[in-house]
This record gives sequence, C-alpha cells and structure tokens, in this order.
Amino acid sequence: MKFLIFSFCILLCSLQSHAQDFKFGHVSKEEVMEKVHPKDEEAGAAVLYRKVSTYYEYNGNSGFTLVTDVHERIKIYNKDGFEWANQEIVYYQNSGDKEKISGLKAYTYNLIEGKLEEEKLRKENIFEEEINKYRLKTKFAMPAVTEGSVIEYEYSIRSPFLTSIDDITLQYTIPINKLEVSVKVPEFLGYKKHFNPKAAVLFQIKEGREPFRYSRTYNERSGQKVVTYSSKTANVEYMQNLYEINADDIPSLKTEPHVDYLQNYAAVLKWELQYTKFPRSSIENFSQTWEGVAKSIYDDTFSKELNRDGFFKDEIDKLLAGGQDNYSKALLIYSFVKERLKWNGYVGFIPENGTKSAYKDGAGNIGDINLLLTAILKYAGLKADPVLLSTQDNGIPIYPTREGFNYVVSLVELPGGSFLLDASDMYANFGELPKRARNWQGRVLREDGTSGWVSLMPASQSEEQLNLNITVMADGTLKGKNISLFSGLFAKEYRDSYLDLNSDDYVQILEKNKGNIKIENLEKENEKELGEKLKEVYEFELSDAAELIGDKILLKPLLFTAMDENPFKADDRIYPIFFDYPSKQVKVVNILLPEGFAVETLPEPSITTFNNGACNYRITMVQNGNFLRIESVFDLKTIIYNPQDYTNLKKFFSYIVEKETEPIVLTKV
Amino acid sequence: MQRIFIFLALCCSVGLSAQDLHLSFLSINDSLTRHANAVVREEIVEIEIAAIDKLYIHTKRIVTVLNEHGNRYAFVGDSYDKSSKINNQKAVVYDAMGNEIKVVKKRDFEDRSLVASGTLYNDNRLSYFDYTPRAYPFTIVYESIIEKENTIFLNDWEPVGEHNLSVERSSYSIKNRAGINLRTRENNFEGANISKEGTELEPVYILKDFPAVDYEKLSPSLEKITPRVQVALDRFSLVGVEGSAATWEELGKWQYENLLKDRNELPETTVEKVKKLTAGAKSDVEKAKLIYEYVQENSRYISVQLGIGGWSPAPASEVDQLKYGDCKGLTNYTKALLDSQNIPSYYAVVIAGEEQEDLEPSFASMQGNHVILNLPQAGEDEDVWLECTSQTLPFNYLGDFTDNRNVLLVKPEGGEIVRTKSYSTSENLRESSSRIALNEDGSFSAAIERRSYGVPYGNIYGISTALAKDQELYYKKLLKHLRSLNISKVAFNNDREKQVFTETLNLSGEGYGSKTGKIMLLPLNFFRASTYDLPRLEERRQALEISRGLSFKDHVELRLPEAFELEALPDNFKLQNEFGSFSFTVVETEKEGEQVLVAERFYSINEGTWPAEKYDDFRDFINTINSFSNLKAVIIAAKIHN
Repeated sequence: MKFLIFSFCILLCSLQSHAQDFKFGHVSKEEVMEKVHPKDEEAGAAVLYRKVSTYYEYNGNSGFTLVTDVHERIKIYNKDGFEWANQEIVYYQNSGDKEKISGLKAYTYNLIEGKLEEEKLRKENIFEEEINKYRLKTKFAMPAVTEGSVIEYEYSIRSPFLTSIDDITLQYTIPINKLEVSVKVPEFLGYKKHFNPKAAVLFQIKEGREPFRYSRTYNERSGQKVVTYSSKTANVEYMQNLYEINADDIPSLKTEPHVDYLQNYAAVLKWELQYTKFPRSSIENFSQTWEGVAKSIYDDTFSKELNRDGFFKDEIDKLLAGGQDNYSKALLIYSFVKERLKWNGYVGFIPENGTKSAYKDGAGNIGDINLLLTAILKYAGLKADPVLLSTQDNGIPIYPTREGFNYVVSLVELPGGSFLLDASDMYANFGELPKRARNWQGRVLREDGTSGWVSLMPASQSEEQLNLNITVMADGTLKGKNISLFSGLFAKEYRDSYLDLNSDDYVQILEKNKGNIKIENLEKENEKELGEKLKEVYEFELSDAAELIGDKILLKPLLFTAMDENPFKADDRIYPIFFDYPSKQVKVVNILLPEGFAVETLPEPSITTFNNGACNYRITMVQNGNFLRIESVFDLKTIIYNPQDYTNLKKFFSYIVEKETEPIVLTKV
Repeated sequence: MQRIFIFLALCCSVGLSAQDLHLSFLSINDSLTRHANAVVREEIVEIEIAAIDKLYIHTKRIVTVLNEHGNRYAFVGDSYDKSSKINNQKAVVYDAMGNEIKVVKKRDFEDRSLVASGTLYNDNRLSYFDYTPRAYPFTIVYESIIEKENTIFLNDWEPVGEHNLSVERSSYSIKNRAGINLRTRENNFEGANISKEGTELEPVYILKDFPAVDYEKLSPSLEKITPRVQVALDRFSLVGVEGSAATWEELGKWQYENLLKDRNELPETTVEKVKKLTAGAKSDVEKAKLIYEYVQENSRYISVQLGIGGWSPAPASEVDQLKYGDCKGLTNYTKALLDSQNIPSYYAVVIAGEEQEDLEPSFASMQGNHVILNLPQAGEDEDVWLECTSQTLPFNYLGDFTDNRNVLLVKPEGGEIVRTKSYSTSENLRESSSRIALNEDGSFSAAIERRSYGVPYGNIYGISTALAKDQELYYKKLLKHLRSLNISKVAFNNDREKQVFTETLNLSGEGYGSKTGKIMLLPLNFFRASTYDLPRLEERRQALEISRGLSFKDHVELRLPEAFELEALPDNFKLQNEFGSFSFTVVETEKEGEQVLVAERFYSINEGTWPAEKYDDFRDFINTINSFSNLKAVIIAAKIHN
C-alpha cells in the first residue's frame, strides 16, 4: 500500500511537469517571463523543447525520401544566450543529389506590456549558402530577440541519401529541458543504433514495430515477340522499426582545458547501416563488425593500390640495389617516400589522386602517401600492412563503421619488432607517429583478409636532458652554459617547431620567458638526423635571476628550467587527463659560488611518487666546497589519468612547483 | 620519316621553352632574399576603366616562394560577388630552376563561399587553387582578369603587402578609357626605387628591388613605411548608383544623399515609446544616454551584406522590427531614434581595429570598415561617441577599437573629417590595493581590489558575465606565480556611469613567502608587472611605436606573522625618462599592533614614436620595471628555535 501511494505521487509530479504545451506556436507567458534556468542558473539560454523525428516517405514519382523533422523551442535568458538565436542547418549534396530544407517556420515570442507578442521570421531573412561542392548551409537570425525571448522553429530536411541517417544530437552546451526523438525505419533497411559510451548522460530507448504502407506504380512488360507494357498499381505493406527517446533535463556539456576532444563526451545517437533488403532486390550487407569494415575497405580500395608496382619498380630497384638487410631497406623506403611525396594537408584513408598519380605529382593526401609507402615496402619483400585509424579531432569510433576511420598509416614487421610509419610527417622518426595519429588504437588490415587492433599510443619514454653550468658573480649576474639533449618525441617536437627557423629568430624564441638574458654561441648537433639525440649548446648571461638583499644573494637554482606554474588550475575535473607521451625530464644544474659567499640555506632533497609509480619526481641538492649540484628528475610513465585522480595529480604537480622554485640563500662571509 | 623528325624537333623546343631561366631562383639578387620568405619576381597590375560602371583588373603575378613560411604569398585565387566576376584565371607552377611542373587550368580552381564567422550572409565567394609544394624554392605564376561594376573602389597600389616579402619588380598602371578624372596620392616613396610614367589620367608606377621588411615588435604598420599609391575616380558607380566627388565634403554629401537619406523613418509607436522614455531627462546628453541604452536592450549585432546593403544601412524601421542589424543598421537606427527627439547626431565612417588607422584628410576615397555615431557637443572639449554594435559598453565609450583616429562624418551638408577620442596615459589606469595576511608557514590570505579605467576598462569588464568557473580560471592564470590558490570570493562593480570597473577578490594560498631555513622571502608586489615582452635584437631596423600609454598604481599591505622579524628591505627606487616612469617605495609600520610592510608601486609607459636606435633604451626601461617589480623583503624567524 505504501508503495502504491508512493508511485502515485511520482505519477502526479511527472504529470505536473508535463503540463507545459509543446505544440508549435503554443508558447506560454510563463516561458517568456522566466528569468533564470531553474536547474542551471549560469545558462544563458536553454532548449525548452527539442523534437526530432526521422522517417521514410514514399512517393510514386520520386521513390523513397528520408525525412527528418526538427522542432525546437529555445529560451534566451540573457545576452550570453543570444548566439542561440542565430541558427545554422548544415546539409549535403553530392553529384546532383541534394538534401533540401522545407517548411522552415520560425517565431520569436516576447512579452510587451504584459501581452505575449510573436514576430515571424520572414523569408527574406533566411539565407542559403553553398559552402562547397558537398555542403550547404541555411542560416537565419531570429527577429526581435531580447533578453527573455523565446524562439521557436521547425523545419524538415528531405534527403535522397537513404542509407545514411544523420547523427542525432542529444546534448548541447546549454541544458535541454525536454527531448523527444523518434526514428522509424522500414524493415528493408537494417540499422543499428549506438550511444556514445563516453557521454555522462544515459538515455532509455523504447523500441517497437508498426506497419508501413505505401502504394507503388510499376511498369510491367509482357509478351515474347510482341512486347507490351502496362502500368499497374499495388499497395505494399511492410513493417517498420520504431525507436523513441523521451527524456527530461539533460544537463549542458561543459568544456574543460586539456581534453582530448570535447565532442568525444557529448551524448549523441548514431545510426549504423548494417544491411539493405529492398523489395525485389537481394540482401546487401554492409559493415557490421570491425572485421567486416576492415575487409570491405581492403577489398574496395586498398588491395588495388597495394598491388600496383609498375610505376615505381625501376626507381625502387635502383634504391635497393645494394642488397641491404630488411631493416635498412625499410629505412631507405621510408625516407624515399617522405622525400618523394609531400602531404597536401588532407586526411582520409582513401587515396585522393591514386598512388600512381600522387607518385608522379609528388603530392597527395594521407591515403596516397601511406598506401604507397605500404605498397613499396611489400614490393621490397617486407611484411607491411596498412593500419586504419581515427585522428584525435575525429574522435574515437564507437561502432564498426567506415566513417569511424579517417586516416591510414603503415605497420612494418621486422626481426627487431614492428614499427608504425607515417610518411606524411617530415620529422617523424622511423616508428614515430605525429600527434594527430596517436589516438588509442588502429586496425591493421592483413593481406589474408584478417584484421586486428594495434595500439597507437607511444610505448617508450621520450627523454629530455637539460644541463646548466653556472657561475654566480658577486653582483648577482649569472654566466653559464646550457647543454640540452632531446630524444624521441621531444626531438620531434623540437624539429617540428624550430628546424626551419633561422638562427636569429630562434635565439629570440630561446630568450623568451627567461628574463633579462643574452644567449650566444648557439650550436646544434643532429638537427636533421632523425633518430639521433638532438643536442643544443649555448652560452648565456642572465642579469636579473639572482636578487641581492643586504649581504645575501637569493637564487632559484633551476633558473628558467624550473616548472614554475601548475598546469592544472581548475578545482575539479569531468573528463580524463591526457599527456602526449611517456616522458622523462632530467635537469642538472652545477653552480660555482662567488668568492666570499657561503650557502646559508639549501632546500631539502625529496622523492615523491604518484599512483604507484605512474608518475615520479625527485630532486637532490649536494654541496661540495664551492660547488652546488642540483638534480631534478620528472618521470611520467602513464599518460592517461581518470578524473578521480585529478585532485591528487594537481597536488603532485603543485608539490613539484614548490620544490623547483625554492630559493637558495647565499651570505657574505 | 621527315615528319617524325620535325615532330621530334618540335617536342624538343617545347621542352626547352618549358624551362624559363629568368624564373629560376638563382637569378634573385641576394639583397632580396634577406629576411624574405618569398619574392615577388614580377607583378603587373593594370586597371582598365572601361566605363563609369565597368572596370577590369588584369593581374599577372610571379612569386618565388623560398620556404614554407612563404606559402601564403603564393596564394592563387580571387574573390568575387554579385557585382564582379572572374573572366579568366590560370596558373603555372615552376620548380627552383624554372622548369614547368604544373599547369593549372580554370577547372582546377575550387569554389567556395567566403562568409566570415559572425556574418549571417554575404555573397562573397572565392575561386582558388590549393597548391602543395613538393620542394622549395618554387615559383608560381598567376594571371587573372576580374570585371567589376563598382568603380567607387579602385584597388590601391600596395606592392609590398606583407612582411618578409621582397619585390623584384612591380608595376601598376591605369588605362582610363572612360576618361574620368583620376586622383592619386603617393605615400612613402622616399628611398624606394620607383619610377612614374604616363599621364595624370593614366599613370604608370614601377617599383624595383624592394627588400623584405622583417616584422619587429612595436613597429609601425607596413602601410606607414612601404610605398603605396591611393587612387580614386571623381565620377564613379556603386551598385548601379552613379555619383561624383573629389573631396571629403562632396563624397560625404554623396553618401548622405544616396546611402543614408530617408532611412531614418520609425513606426509611430516606437517614437512614442522613446518620447515617454526620455520625458524626464534634463539634457540632450541625458536623453541620448537613455536612447543608447534602449538600443542596447533592444538589439543585437548581426551582419548581412548584400548589394547596396553592403554600403547602405538597413532602414531604421526594419531594424526596429528585426531588433538586429550590422554596424550601419544599428548606428542609423540609434541616429533615427535621436532624430525623433531632435538630438543631432552624425553617422561616422571609421577604419576600426586595435591598430589606429586614419582616413587621410587630403585624399577622399571610399574607405572604412565600420560605422559609429557622433553627437556634436558645441562648447565642450569633446564630442560624445557611440559604439552602437555593443550591448554592454557604456554610453560614450569607444575603447581601443575606434579611438584616436580620423573618421568621416556623413552630414547632410557634406562630409567632414574629425578625430575620435584619444585615451591619455593617465586615463588608461589600472590601480590595485592588496591586503595580505601572511602565516608562519608562508601561506597567506588576501583581500584584493583592482580598478580599471580607460582602455583597460573595455578589456576587462566582460569578465563579470563569464561563467564562475571561467572567472576563477582567469584569476588563477593572472596570479599564476602564486601556488594552490583558493578563491573564496569574486565580486564586480561595473560603474558604467564613471566607466570604472572594480574587481574584488578574497583568496588564500600557499607559499607566498618562500621559506628556506629560518629565512622567509616575501615578494613586495602582488601583481606581476604588466609590460611588453621585448626580444633582444642585434639590430633594430624600424621605429618604436607605442600607440596607447598605460599607467599602473599598486598598493600592497603585507602583515607579517608574529614570530618573524624584518631582516632586510630593498631600497626605494625612482626613475623617470622619455618612455615613462617607475617608482617603488616600501616602509615598515605598525597597524593595530602588528608589523606591516606597505609597498607602493607606480609605473607608466608613454605613447609615442621613437627612432630605432632608442629600442635598446626602451627595452632596458621595461627590464627595469620588471626586475624592480620582483623585489623581496627578507624576514627571519626570530622567536622560533629550530
């Protein structure tokens, strides 16, 4: 009995909250009068209602059309929310086929002297823009919008692209109060639905089936020698699958710094086409498993490109005439492709020009370059296979789909191990991937038709060593020599950023943020020798690092190499924390004290570790006569941390900052 | 057989001519490669004025790109819209030695819309070719013919359009088939190898061997130091509307008659509303303020640029209904509301941007990218200026977007060039007062108040409407030299009347004093000095230009922990020179029985222009401010026994 009363109450409450009328045009005074969002007082705007209905329509003349009706009612609380009164609808065209917007109606509601007034969006204030060959955009700015306005609009997108249902957004960067989604798919299209598993908001989906009817007219041919045509009409009835979401109070998607890619965390419903079985046609299967996706990409595109060798044969034979071992061959080919082809800036695993013409032109997209690399490696008798992946800004695919991938690299297996290669990046050493490609895992496609996952995350630690030898003058000026060594991805980052600068410009960059410094006699070793440790040596004079107060000299011994700012500033964290790669940073500072001064205080040495050795730090300070030696080692083994680790990680870094900025005090004796 | 031979011979000669020796990078003079990322080998621009409403721009440009920073100079393409079209476009790419490597045909050019973010609509499109260089240097030759119906704008000659770009030869000529009187104005010709030929109506300019200008911080814009020629026709056409003007007065009058007049009608209900709204106000300025705030409450900025709408404001009645508009529409709307209450105001055309760019008083031509409103104040020192696209700026505040520059007032009786408000060094003030209580372990709590005036006002007040989380992050970044900050209170007071923005913060943190042994070091400034970050240069080439002065005044009270005694204080310091001034004083006093250090810092950086030789002195001055802002006191734990 108790239970019954309880559930009755819930029912009542939920009825109460549904009393709002979401029929188009039925905007209430209360909605316009609301001053602040009841659950998120910082929201500049909120979606009071969002309804998306996707279904298929049949018309005797044009056949099937995929229709998506959208209806949104948005409350603008203040000026920060004004941007939501400007709307854009993006849709597609492709060689003659074009999506169309129809039935766009929109109104703004305001309260004027206690009366609810509506303002219509006029046709002349709606603009269509052809962004390029593939994308169109309809834009409109709602009229008469002020703080408090409610805007409402509806439209339909009519699409000839029957086999691709667009992603349905379930979460915005403002709250959504009420969301209704329905998708109806005739049974001859087999779709699988996917939610984003990384999203923090969960949705219930209701599924059902209902009949789908249409009339179709068709021509019939009869007779053997004398052929006659006749037109017939038939009523056709099929079943269709029904999916519905009804949800309330979806919180806004919050942004944060150091997130790999925010949209990875947005709630979204995606539709994966698995098969089609149109009436009177046979079933056609589409990708359903990663294995299947991989195989279809291999068969459609890769096998052809990977088995052409006529156009490069002669040059490669010449290149490999020396009879090198397999490792040297792979190195030679990797450099050869890098030299020969320049990246045109476009991603995509499908070759844009085809490997042959890319080879001829000397430029191509990622598909052109890395498939050609794979083909040449194979031609040279090496075991090499393409690896499909998704770049960081493409997110992580959440279900097996071709669209989940947008990039390809090459995996070569040598006696010494396997190496991932990307010849589109000038400064990637053999086995290193550029940052854009280091996104979780990729799918390797083997020649025998099988495929499997490989990790794209860098496994080995990259190292940076900074050595400073300094002499402290009695006037507080420092003279010193810096010797830096960079290996692995530290060296790659250095080369990416600085290699093509002239030395004057580079010295300016070096001098930046180091105080009143003068850097001279800059020398570099192995600047362009990928794979070798890059060495940088320079001398410097620093005039404002030490402070003279009375008879004391104060000095932060790690100078400009110190970590003097905590990279983590926010109090809490929603998303995981990403570091680029495992790293080890060693700093050694040797200080020669000025004549007549003694060390008064020296900071304590210290060792600290985070998450059982995932990240470690130690600093030591040793005095030996006139010499001080300070050594600091930052050792990052794990690169991804959970949001739960955030507070402690922040503290750990705060501690490092404290230790690295502790001054030593010298006193006159 | 003979046929075959001829054919072969032909092939060879084609092959030979495909290498164009003068395109090889080897023929570039050394003086032109210094500081250059690209070299304009030859540029030929010919402007053909066919009729009052028809002109053709013939361009041939040959650019050798020396390295990847030079890629953007190799841009191949043109924009067009409803009033212009591209009649011809082709490009050829050559390698370093001048061998042809790619011929780009019309169909290789891509087409896309060119609608800037923040713009709802315009009809600008871009036709371009995206070339991926295989190696450097390479040379790209681009030729195009553009046909335009708007003759009110003639492309000025700006042969050195970018930093790090040198020019081997650039020519510019006008073919004046319509015989319309042409005015020209030559700028920065001194020291450049320029020849002028032709006639007044059909001039020809040629620039040779102009070395690349390297970008230097705080240097004058290229417009002020490289040669250029402004050109304008006395009779012209704009989207089908013809006109004539040779002076700012005439051009202003034409603009008023054709672009502005009769666009200020308002619905009666709105006029009534405004009348009621301003009924209680005592003066015109007070009324204007109420009207400005009414516009701010009842509009938003959205840009739509179509046809004549690119130059003429949307009618006031339309803005009244839509409650949005671009700068022209919103300014004209505000003007219409003022007109309805008989308050005079003028539409003012300006070149907006942080960099102060002037309309040249002696040369009238259609210019400007923004519009503001001027309210003349007879008998006062300064007029009232309104920025009508902002929903939040105070009445009569321009800030660094439109300050201190020549603008065109479009008056019914004719145009007039006037100067907008300039913010002086002492007006651009940021002052702070920090009361800090220090604990024995070096941790602290503090109450901070900071006030911003002048240009700094406009750059800070937006923080008050940011999300709480973003506000907190802003202060944590601003005070990044302090560790483990915990901000317990953030409050703001935006005094739009006086244009003062006050931030009040309560915060606490660790490690304000850094402790080593019994000694603790205490920074005597809470805020780091906010100055310029200037690179050390072997040789400064350009003048030093500071377009806005700034002053800072900081007061710090530091309460010492009881167990500590003062060991050493830095000396007071004072400096004044042509670049500005700096002073720092610190005293130890007692307040309510506690030891307190009181530090005062004041510094100002003047606006002005100095010759290149002064750069090092200026840099020393900035370094002095920075290092004296880092001064610390030493205190010692006298009453604690370790």
